[in-house]
Amino acid sequence: MTKKIRQIAIYGKGGIGKSTTTQNLTAGLAENGKGVMIVGCDPKADSTRLLLGGLAQKTVLDTLRETGEEIDLEHIVRDGYRGIRCVESGGPEPGVGCAGRGIITSIGLLERLGAYDEDLDYVFYDVLGDVVCGGFAMPIREGKAREIYIVGSGEMMALYAANNIAKGIQKFATKGKVRLGGIICNSRNVDREYELLRAFSAELGTQLIHFVPRDNIVQHAEIRKKTVIDFAPESKQAGEYRDLAKKIEENENFVIPKPMSTDRLEEILFEFGLMDAVEDYKI
Amino acid sequence: MTEVNQTKKSNTIVHPRYGCAIGAINTVAAIPRGIPIANCGPGCADKQYFMLSFSNGFQGAGYSGGGALPSTNVGENEIVFGGHKKLDDLIKSSLKIMDGDIYVVLTGCSIELIGDDVGAIVKEYQEKGYPVVHAEAAGFKGNNLTGHENVVKAIIDQYVGEYKGRKKKGLINLWFDVPYYHANWRGDSIELKRVLEGAGFKVNVLFGSESGGVSEWKEVPKAQFNLVVSPWVGLEIAKHLETKYKQPFLHVPVIPIGEEATTEFIRELVDFAGIDNKKAEAFISTEAERYYYFLEHFSEFFSEYWFGLPARFVTVGDAAYNLAITKFLTDQIGLIPTKQIITDNTPEKHRQNIQKLFHDISDEFPLDVEFIEDGYVIEEKVRNVDYGSSVPLILGSSWESDVAKEIKGLLIPISTPIVSEVVINRTYVGYHGALTLLEKIYSETVRG
Ligand SMILES: Nc1ncnc2c1ncn2[C@@H]1O[C@H](COP(=O)(O)OP(=O)(O)O)[C@@H](O)[C@H]1O
Ligand code: SF4
Ligand code: SF4
Ligand SMILES: [Mg+2]
Repeated sequence: MTKKIRQIAIYGKGGIGKSTTTQNLTAGLAENGKGVMIVGCDPKADSTRLLLGGLAQKTVLDTLRETGEEIDLEHIVRDGYRGIRCVESGGPEPGVGCAGRGIITSIGLLERLGAYDEDLDYVFYDVLGDVVCGGFAMPIREGKAREIYIVGSGEMMALYAANNIAKGIQKFATKGKVRLGGIICNSRNVDREYELLRAFSAELGTQLIHFVPRDNIVQHAEIRKKTVIDFAPESKQAGEYRDLAKKIEENENFVIPKPMSTDRLEEILFEFGLMDAVEDYKI
Repeated sequence: MTEVNQTKKSNTIVHPRYGCAIGAINTVAAIPRGIPIANCGPGCADKQYFMLSFSNGFQGAGYSGGGALPSTNVGENEIVFGGHKKLDDLIKSSLKIMDGDIYVVLTGCSIELIGDDVGAIVKEYQEKGYPVVHAEAAGFKGNNLTGHENVVKAIIDQYVGEYKGRKKKGLINLWFDVPYYHANWRGDSIELKRVLEGAGFKVNVLFGSESGGVSEWKEVPKAQFNLVVSPWVGLEIAKHLETKYKQPFLHVPVIPIGEEATTEFIRELVDFAGIDNKKAEAFISTEAERYYYFLEHFSEFFSEYWFGLPARFVTVGDAAYNLAITKFLTDQIGLIPTKQIITDNTPEKHRQNIQKLFHDISDEFPLDVEFIEDGYVIEEKVRNVDYGSSVPLILGSSWESDVAKEIKGLLIPISTPIVSEVVINRTYVGYHGALTLLEKIYSETVRG
């Protein structure tokens, strides 16, 4: 019997912590003996660095460009921390070609080569920034990731982006089986961040699945090209990631999000005092 | 003003009647020693050749057209990583292998979508002095008619270049048929050039057998004025030239067919240009004399042959041929226009004006003009016209052959696609063409 692989896509504003969070939580899943694959869908190709102990040597698209279609799976899938399979889709040089099409090409190739096998319990897609075009929505098309988590924080731009992403998800969800599993708050230590994210999630019709504190140990681990779980397994932050992993494992709350109007979003931000800070907001 | 009569747009189109913007490869191939370079997916260029040349009077392709043109054949690799290198290689080898005077890169959908900077690649060649031009020709931006206009503007801007010198009195740039799309374009330009030269002008025809190729294009800025002989195609070009070279233009929306129209056309031009009219008048009287010599003989047939002559006609075709032929048959032959359908996706802003031109043809018959592209709707319309007791006459494309058969009508092909005839150098315009058109219509009639 083929078991069902849970395919999960992680979206969120650039720099919010998608890759860090994804790698740490998958490290948590791997500790529990789960079979996991991460597919980095960001031309920067930095979605698996902490699991591999360095940047993947070759992205799928690099390999494709240099070798052509005749590729073995070993060339593009590498085992990382506790056997987590790591793939980087990669992309064209900045400013040329179509990165979105690159993602479609890469995932298509993985499927053809049989990367989605019996040993996997989870596939995570770590997708860049926003759902800018069809290519970046590839992981949530029919037959791929059905679960989505949005990484957010108490910063205005992060919530704008999250709301935008929810719009994209809504579009796919009403036609298919894609659902939003929750918001992950990756804390920026903003005032009343927890309450804001709770309110924001509720307004979207979903849950705040976990609040990941901001902690310098993340950087310490990062410098050593490791996840926190790998670098400091006993630390409090490692525990947070294990909690997140557990909550995702047990999650049953999947919804079609109800993105809000810009007016409504700003109302909420206002309520939590974020709009006062607009004047000195710097990107 | 009257509202533009337009049937509700259907979402699907059966029976395509024009190509996409990349069809303007034919425009480049129509310039003597012009080499189109297709920067698009495999099949794009061939499809346009097939539609606009092969299935349109089997016109052939010449040295650089049809299936024999250089193409990047963009594949997934170019989409993902960009097609710069492949295009660069292709331009290099085209310059080496293809023997031409001007090379025009036409960029289709896929490459336009991913935003390759084609201009930058081509510019490097331009800076080294190579005659290479690039034009945006994505199908999603327009059809082959607007593509034609864009390509011409690109050649003007990137190849012909700046000019501040004097104009040559009596020199005209002729903007007229769209090469290949108008199946008679070659014969038409021979006839119009003959007429204009007969009237005392010099003409840059720019495309086809009568064109002097790139040296003629280099003359474009020197012309006294631009002459647009078409209801809308070419206007953009003329306006562009007006700003670029301070060159006035004369817009003659109805292509002249027959003695009356052509004579009037010549007089309007002579008047506009302010040249001496002696030569023109002498030419007119020779032409008129010859024309009526033939018409007289024809009218014997016309009055004596009483069985099965058509009285009412419909036209289905692009705005230019449609308008000109409708006017000629109504004004000069006394046939009754009953439905005129324009199929070239005329830009919205020209539609009212074109309708007015149709309405002005006759005070007697209210002209029924519609802009429709869907063959299914067109067939319905053609089928349901009241042709009275006479044999239905349909001037249309080969797509109308089924409905023509069904209503036992005569079909005279005047618009894309044409698969029942081979077209070489015939024309239906001017003095000579009018007679050929009559010959054609009434040969069909007597054949029955
Ligand atoms: N919880 C956290 N505490 C401290 N720093 C963090 C935390 N999460 C992420 N970061 C830092 O933020 C930076 C951006 O994170 P990253 O995962 O690359 O973002 P994204 O993938 O969303 O672009 C990284 O350098 C990382 O060290
Ligand atoms: S917007 Fe998307 S589809 Fe368009 S070129 Fe960029 S990555 Fe490709
Ligand atoms: S519409 Fe686009 S893809 Fe289609 S033939 Fe034209 S250029 Fe090619
Ligand atoms: Mg990332």
